[in-house]
Amino acid sequence: MDRALATALQERFGNALLAPVRQRFDETEIRVSIADAIPTLRALHDEPAFAYEMLIDLCGIDTGEEMQVVYHLSSSQSGDWLRVIVPGIDRSAPRVNSLVSLWPGAEWMEREAYDMFGIIFEGNRDLRRIYMPDDYVSHPLRKDFYLADDASRSPAAGVRNMERVGTPVDATRSTALRKSPGA
Amino acid sequence: MAMTRDPKKALQAPIVTPNTLWTTDNPRAYGGQPLAEHPNLELARYDATGEGRADDARWSGALGAIPTKADIVLDLIRANSLWPLLSGLACCAIEMMSTATPKNDIDRWGMFPFRASPRQADVLIVAGTLTTKMAEPLIRLWEQMPEPKWVVAMGDCTCSGGRYKRSYSVVQGIDRVMPVDVYIPGCPPRPEGLIYGMMKLQQLIKDRRGHWPERAIGPTVPDGI
Amino acid sequence: MTTPLTKPSLDDPRIAIPAASEWYEPAPTAQTERQAEFLNLRDGEMFINMGPQHPSTHGVLRIVVKVNGEQVVDLDPVLGYLHRGVEKLCENADYHQAICYTDPLEYVASLFCEAAPVAAFEKLMDVEVPRRAQYIRVLTMELNRIASHTLFQGWMALDLGGITPILWSFIERDEIVDMLAALTGQKLLYNYYRIGGVNGDLNHEFMSRLGTWMSRAAAQIDSNLGLMNENEIFVRRTRGLGILDAATALRMGVTGPNLRATGVPFDLRRDHPYLVYPELEFNVPTRDEGDSLARYMVRIDEIRESIRIIDQVLHEMPDGPVMAKLPRLIRPRPGRAFGAVEGPRGAYGVYAISDGTDQPFRMRIHDPSFVHLQLVGPLTRGNLIADTMAVMASLDPVMGGVDK
Repeated sequence: MDRALATALQERFGNALLAPVRQRFDETEIRVSIADAIPTLRALHDEPAFAYEMLIDLCGIDTGEEMQVVYHLSSSQSGDWLRVIVPGIDRSAPRVNSLVSLWPGAEWMEREAYDMFGIIFEGNRDLRRIYMPDDYVSHPLRKDFYLADDASRSPAAGVRNMERVGTPVDATRSTALRKSPGA
Repeated sequence: MAMTRDPKKALQAPIVTPNTLWTTDNPRAYGGQPLAEHPNLELARYDATGEGRADDARWSGALGAIPTKADIVLDLIRANSLWPLLSGLACCAIEMMSTATPKNDIDRWGMFPFRASPRQADVLIVAGTLTTKMAEPLIRLWEQMPEPKWVVAMGDCTCSGGRYKRSYSVVQGIDRVMPVDVYIPGCPPRPEGLIYGMMKLQQLIKDRRGHWPERAIGPTVPDGI
Repeated sequence: MTTPLTKPSLDDPRIAIPAASEWYEPAPTAQTERQAEFLNLRDGEMFINMGPQHPSTHGVLRIVVKVNGEQVVDLDPVLGYLHRGVEKLCENADYHQAICYTDPLEYVASLFCEAAPVAAFEKLMDVEVPRRAQYIRVLTMELNRIASHTLFQGWMALDLGGITPILWSFIERDEIVDMLAALTGQKLLYNYYRIGGVNGDLNHEFMSRLGTWMSRAAAQIDSNLGLMNENEIFVRRTRGLGILDAATALRMGVTGPNLRATGVPFDLRRDHPYLVYPELEFNVPTRDEGDSLARYMVRIDEIRESIRIIDQVLHEMPDGPVMAKLPRLIRPRPGRAFGAVEGPRGAYGVYAISDGTDQPFRMRIHDPSFVHLQLVGPLTRGNLIADTMAVMASLDPVMGGVDK
């Protein structure tokens, strides 16, 4: 737990922080607004007192009421992980600025956040889906996307004869032709 | 920050994406309509007239039913030199590779040459989780394999979806998209398990069982199941 | 536009092939600027699709390569063929079940995939892991690191065309993996770490196999290396290929041996220490050249360092319990925690958010191979098609982790 880091962050970014610096074990956490996110990260990267040169992770969070983007950084000056949380992103139209100008390696991580949550990163020149197929309609990690309830009631097909207990199903094996695959 | 989990407090219209494979709008692809009415597939006519029976490498023999000595020899040949297609998708691929390496040598049964091209392969060992995005390429690979061909579902994910039973992007068992001859459970199955499964496949070939005679394009899980 | 799931194969004799070329897919439309740049073909260029099924793509990765003759002009990796929705499944499962879901991500280094969420959950629960369990974790993780690097060695040769080294690698790897199977019961997806410790103490079978292996591990590795290090084809194909400099690597978020091959000595075991690594003596091997050969050599040096760590751990292992006393139902207080370990591919981290219930609210898994695959394009530009595979093999991605 790096106390000197907490005081340095508080002094440098005091007015930009939305909440006091929190520390637990070897993690330090700050919160900044959407507008201040990129300038703060740029300052953390460029200034030699902080020297946060390594971007470890970029992810999206959906709390049910709002969305957040969380950055994890690492520096050679401090033994703590720095977590920068950008809260308060509107769930219905999430837009933040892209980190690609500072860390080009964030491009795919932002694509993943877009694919999973729908967060639009302005400035990312390649913001398309990365995991799901291109014509997929939903964003799976949102809290309003529900998984299938029960394995035996998967929405894809009904119940397989082996998963149903007690009721044999006469499985007719037709040699031709299904109506449609998988359904 | 308040975190809500209760679905009742969530949005009024949840987005529920069913775990189905893509169906197509294209009327030409045979995903979208019964195969019998497909304009380009002459399956019904082809099977009804029996015009392909002499050409393709299916079971032949006297009257199409009684195997001759040549067929028994052909079955032995096919069983003892099954060349798998390199179709390792995930973790089970590591166990498949481990089966090919000297400690659990699958070359003893003639199965070492894992072909990269489906045109040269006999058996498609699907090793690893099949996702909905990968389903189309895998079906294309299976279709490109020349007959006779067999499919082995290796691992829990290919048998039934496995540990990803509730996932939104995993095909719940490859028999939803292609006919399977041997199921090898396990996560991952030990190399000995894969070898046992391949020996079962050899038995199937020699006994002329399995899905081969009533091959249908598409999944063999009947409707309503 | 929905992609049709099944298209009849043109070789199926039961299909009447239409006159017009209706079966061919239309050219993809560009959705973004970068994709439009990529799809724009100049004179003499063409696309080659190294599709999801390929002998050397380390799993299901599709790379669309734009080539001018044999020279690669640009690359577009397409991921997602193994996306299983692990993060969503973890949100709907208990904390213990969530650890099981993370095993198959980097399936060759599966203990690291368990160590990171376990570290994050232990921070959330504020649990102290017993000393013996920490030593056992270090021991098994270093064994898994050696197994993974040995497999990397074989894969790298296989991607360059050599078949023998992978057979030898699997012999080595089978010994280590059988050792871990005697301990955990599983050869690949171990499911051994629990919140607060490990699932069972060391047993006699494991110790005897470990002793047999240790007695000749170093010599065996050196003899296996002679197959590749001094092989002129291997060295000439990888030296000077895909040079990555330190500044670019840091900007791209690279960690692990790929970063250490550029000269930056960043290792989580040193810089953000966890478990008992502060008490162990080991070096952090680095190289300066940053080419594929350097990335290969760094991993070989790491195997030797891991053997050194295992030796120290065996000498210093204390007695005691292997599992902390925890309630059966894991229900941490609301909070956030980030646990990261140094895996064989880089910094493998899990960011866990708890909301006070018995299911994690969000479990974000950061996999290093995901970030490293972005490098395949920039590093291969200007080289030949076969060099794509050499570069990718030297970056050592595992598609399970990339696609989650």
